[in-house]
Amino acid sequence: MRIAEHIYREFAAVVGERYISDKEYILAGDRAKTPEYPMEYHSADIIVLPASTQEVVEIVKLCNKHKLSFIPFMTGALPYAYPNRDGTVIIHLKRMNRILEIDETDRYTVIEAGVRHIQLYPELRKRGLCYPPAAVGPGGSVLANMTSTDGSNHVQHGFSRANRYLLGAEVVTPEGEVLRVGSLQGDAGWFCPDGPGPSLRGIIKGYSGTHGQFGVITKIAVGLSAANGPAEIRSEGISPNHKVYMDHPYSRAYVFNYPHIQNVCDAMLALGEAEVCSTVQKYFYLPLTLMMTNSANEFWEKWEGGYKDTMNMPLVIHIAARTQKEFEYEEKILFEVAAETGGERLPPELENWWNEHMDYFMLVNRLQSVLRLGGGWMPNKIGADSVQHMCDVAEAMGEYIHEYTDTGKIFNAPESYQIIPMEYGHFAHIEVLFMWDRCKPGVMKGVGEFRARSRQEDIDRHFHSETPGSLMPATMDLGPLYSNYHLWLQRLKQSFDPNNVSNPMM
Amino acid sequence: MLFPENREQVEAIVAKAREEGKALVPLSSGAPHLHGASVNPQAETICFSRMDAIMKIDRRNRYARVEAGVTFERLIPALAEAGMRLNAPFLPRASKSVVASMLEREAVVVPKYQYDYTDPLLNVEVVCGSGELFRTGSAAGPGPIEELKADMCLPWGPGSIDFLRFFTGAQGTMGLVTWATLKTEILPSLSNLYFIPADMAEPLVTLANGLLLNRVVDDCVILNRVNFAAAFADSAQEESDLAVKIPEWVMLCRICGFERYPEERIAVYEEMLLDACAKAGLSALRELPDCDGLAGKVNTMLGDCDRRETYWKLRRGGEREIDFLAPPSKTPALVDILCGLEGKCGGDLGITIQPQVQGRAYRLEANVFFDGSAPELPEQVLADILPELHGNGAFFDRPYGAMARLVYRDPVSTEALRKLKAIYDPDGILNPGKLCFTGR
Repeated sequence: MRIAEHIYREFAAVVGERYISDKEYILAGDRAKTPEYPMEYHSADIIVLPASTQEVVEIVKLCNKHKLSFIPFMTGALPYAYPNRDGTVIIHLKRMNRILEIDETDRYTVIEAGVRHIQLYPELRKRGLCYPPAAVGPGGSVLANMTSTDGSNHVQHGFSRANRYLLGAEVVTPEGEVLRVGSLQGDAGWFCPDGPGPSLRGIIKGYSGTHGQFGVITKIAVGLSAANGPAEIRSEGISPNHKVYMDHPYSRAYVFNYPHIQNVCDAMLALGEAEVCSTVQKYFYLPLTLMMTNSANEFWEKWEGGYKDTMNMPLVIHIAARTQKEFEYEEKILFEVAAETGGERLPPELENWWNEHMDYFMLVNRLQSVLRLGGGWMPNKIGADSVQHMCDVAEAMGEYIHEYTDTGKIFNAPESYQIIPMEYGHFAHIEVLFMWDRCKPGVMKGVGEFRARSRQEDIDRHFHSETPGSLMPATMDLGPLYSNYHLWLQRLKQSFDPNNVSNPMM
Repeated sequence: MLFPENREQVEAIVAKAREEGKALVPLSSGAPHLHGASVNPQAETICFSRMDAIMKIDRRNRYARVEAGVTFERLIPALAEAGMRLNAPFLPRASKSVVASMLEREAVVVPKYQYDYTDPLLNVEVVCGSGELFRTGSAAGPGPIEELKADMCLPWGPGSIDFLRFFTGAQGTMGLVTWATLKTEILPSLSNLYFIPADMAEPLVTLANGLLLNRVVDDCVILNRVNFAAAFADSAQEESDLAVKIPEWVMLCRICGFERYPEERIAVYEEMLLDACAKAGLSALRELPDCDGLAGKVNTMLGDCDRRETYWKLRRGGEREIDFLAPPSKTPALVDILCGLEGKCGGDLGITIQPQVQGRAYRLEANVFFDGSAPELPEQVLADILPELHGNGAFFDRPYGAMARLVYRDPVSTEALRKLKAIYDPDGILNPGKLCFTGR
């Protein structure tokens, strides 16, 4: 389906001819790139590139007028960013890419939707400030990270998730009005996400993102914290053979391998109680080995040559202190906790990889490496609760995952999950990253079986290890298990988007 | 007044109120009710004082789950017994409901633990105005609460909505919270208290901003002379005596050590504190001059509620207050505006400045203490100052009474809040007339 010429002209009048297209070869560039996800994908009818909030307002109003759906789009990392029906307008926000303000005293930055991590993060770091960026790579949209992904990150042990850093927001509602959230609503600037009274911030992002189902978020303020370590980061070489250093006397990465996830749990909680270390993370060994190698052949050589056994349960630590005394204090507690909990430090040749790839603790830039083994990959579970609960979820997975890893249905890496504590061990999230060879005939059947089994096991065990997402058909099945949240979600959607045009998935 | 004992009774009360078209207003704390959110002549009061169970204290995962009627005077010692503390407001009333305080986003004394304005509130169970039961975050499921294995401590969701936020700052207009999960912290095994005196608030505000950026201090609160004396004296005479000995402004802060090497932790951060003070031309004192024994008393009271017979804000008989949030850059000017009320407001003017969310904002509270006989002048003076504060960057995030008219001026966001209200309380039975919600 293509929209009528006169409608096209109305959109073109808003953004200008240069920033609209219905050309097949343009639209093809913004179609789903993850066909393994079991969704129905369509091509957008047109793609428009607004330059301002006012242009977004006019586009949204046109969509309502002509009964067209719209999807706000930046990097397209998630499948929900792509049309699931005909009659859809992609509102590509990449022209709205200005850093509007960096307030060092009040510790927030105001950005437009198109600002990418690589644009913002270094600017902040120069000022001794930072925020917790998701591990999506330097090209990821900061706003999408804060509002539409789950917001987990590698530094959340000390920082927390992105949720905590999303402050005031400007949203073009599904009906085309400009909604100002938090202190903006009270004409008091961007610093506070809540109030006056009940907080409208609740409709911007929950555990997961709303994926554009409640309008287009055009600007946000992001809270900032101190960035310990050097203001500028030194790098050597050219990707993928590059190294990134954090030249600072009080910055160092450590890796301990553990015999069992419950030992890891004890270590995470002890380090959290002591409020030490800036990163504490049980990382997944399969993506790690892929990141540590530069070819499939090298991967297999290392994986089978000992990496799999040597670091199957790695606890990755980063200390980023400000003084020698603080560094020594944190290191002393780290070593004590590791000794108490059974952590065995990795040999220097493995641990040093981390100190030569410190981008991991800032903007991870080697993620593409994880696609090397045939390209099939999927994060699974992605729930959160206490550190203990997440570790119990991981332990329980050992009771059924071998049916899939031992039989070749998915890659044989049964401990390939990460658990990252937040807020010094008050909570943690889990992510199982499993992989498969997309070229293998019939592989998707086994992948589907594992996903379904994983979900069912957690439901049967009443584990909060997989949170349901935004409003979509699967929500109707899961909602009754989660306090009937699907009913509230439907009511909110009907109330705020009466024409069901804002990235409808139902 | 209705006194439910459990969730089922709350559900029945809401169902009956809907059926009969009666309004309800929740009440969880003992008197006095200073802000008036729980006072509504249009509504029948549903009092949660009998729902006062401390349901769970989990030391390993650092949280507590309490019913709505649990007060600070009960929870604080119960947590201490388990080796934990609550990040609580500054010297709250002993009879104040912990859940009510957290729902109202009251300021807390340890800003470094506060990652968000809703902290330390994590999750709630709520009977909505529609009569439906709902649990937020990881308390939502999967399955019935009796079978749920999660610790129910994750605050976000379920799914793509941050439902918890709809019930905070709501003054009971969206639902009736039956219990809440609260984040708790390790009880320090050692702590050093510091008094940082100043003639003006501004250098202390700047100092706190820098200290909290680097997580140097634990407890942190700035008080003017009037509030310092009112808070820490046990009688009117002692208050008068203390007021002449103390400086115009004092920042109280503590550095704490925990189970592992507490002395070393304190030494690390004390060095940073003293360095920051020296750069700011300020001094961090372990005792205030001529105030022997005060440090020990302050140290104890900072981690507790006010257990004295008369609440510190009511020693004179009457008190009126306003509070608001401000970013650090605007705080000094707003303090100046408040100080301009001195001598005009019909009583003594106390001011408390509390850094929040790791120092990215401050909650300012102005208290007028008077003998209780003529509240009209302080009420009028505080009402008159609101537009000037608003014009200079004050954010009235918790608008009580007439303040609502000042803050709900933006038609789009006000209409959005009314949509929320219509979803959660379709018959308008919960605390009608409050915030931007007109009566039924």
